[in-house]
Amino acid sequence: MTAAGSQPPEELRRRGEVVEFPSPARSTDIALDELEIVYAFIYARVGNRADAEDLTQQVAMKAIPRLRENAPPSAIRGYLFATARSVLGAFWSVRLGLSESELREDLAMIPPAPVGSDDSGERARQILAGLSDNYRRVLELRFLHGYSLKEVAAEMKSTVGAVKVMQLRALRAAAKVRLDE
Amino acid sequence: MSEKPENRLERIVSDLMRGRRLKLRPKDAEEKEAIIMAARLAATRQGPQRMSPAFRQALGRQIDAMPRDGWVSRRTALVAGLGIAAGTVGGLLAGRGLEGPQTVAAKEIVPDGGEWFPVGTLEDFPIGTARQVRAGAIGAFVTRTDDSVLAVSSICSDLPCELWWDAKHSVLACPCHNKTFSTEGRSNEAYPLPPLDTVKVRITAEGRVEVFGI
Repeated sequence: MTAAGSQPPEELRRRGEVVEFPSPARSTDIALDELEIVYAFIYARVGNRADAEDLTQQVAMKAIPRLRENAPPSAIRGYLFATARSVLGAFWSVRLGLSESELREDLAMIPPAPVGSDDSGERARQILAGLSDNYRRVLELRFLHGYSLKEVAAEMKSTVGAVKVMQLRALRAAAKVRLDE
Repeated sequence: MSEKPENRLERIVSDLMRGRRLKLRPKDAEEKEAIIMAARLAATRQGPQRMSPAFRQALGRQIDAMPRDGWVSRRTALVAGLGIAAGTVGGLLAGRGLEGPQTVAAKEIVPDGGEWFPVGTLEDFPIGTARQVRAGAIGAFVTRTDDSVLAVSSICSDLPCELWWDAKHSVLACPCHNKTFSTEGRSNEAYPLPPLDTVKVRITAEGRVEVFGI
């Protein structure tokens, strides 16, 4: 067994005979690994890197100094996600004047999926499946395939103006699709 | 001339598809549900995201610079299985990390340059009921006990969320993680959270209740 901070030989570690305590540097790594999941959770809701980075940083600054020694094992991730939920709520509230109750579904405390899994992708596909053919097509082309408005119009044999209106209506309709959690 | 809703949304969608930050204007709130949906769908195209190496490195430096009071204990890390090599854990657990809950003294909020804000008369505060008040920037719950009053901060001691008065159970409840506090600010949890900060409150000779805020 090794003391905190020392480096156990790789062979012992592989054989499972070593318990390695987190050194200060190690606990930063643990925090960062947990924050990776928080980042993915936030990104899936704001859709851009700059806002996701700002909000993840806010979560870290708020939550980490307040995580206490001897906190229950389940607390770390739960605490970070509760903070992420609060930070996201404040973000939408400031930007769009939304109340937390309006965000309940969007910020539901779903168990975090492992990094690399595509839970939000599956959810989006379910939402699109609940739309009419035209609405689903316009959102698929625009968001999932990255088409420009002009390209969507050409694909759908329509005009840019009409596609713009259809995109608005399709997004409004998608926002009304309720999924079973 | 005001922007048409479809143009407004296209401006936002276009920014999102270019990976730009959400720049919203006050009128955009009219399409809030559609905007939130657009952000979700834009994220879907990118797939599950990881932090960029540069951001992760910068965040790591910030975490390193934070006051470190053992934010993750050995026991927590081991039991939670947070990437720590597993081994002969049993004996170690017995030695550390099984201490009882720690009690922390409540802090009093006394803002520099603060002043007394009237929040009602004594009759406005029924005995045993916490009433939410504001003293400028300070939010508090004031509770009357016979002819005295006490006040605690309206912000949870654990998460940055505003508490609400759960009259059915006579507790101050945090909406962010279902934790509750007594009207005196004590945590009701088996594993106690820090107590709520206290706020200065007084009853004037005229029977007014005043809270010290800023």
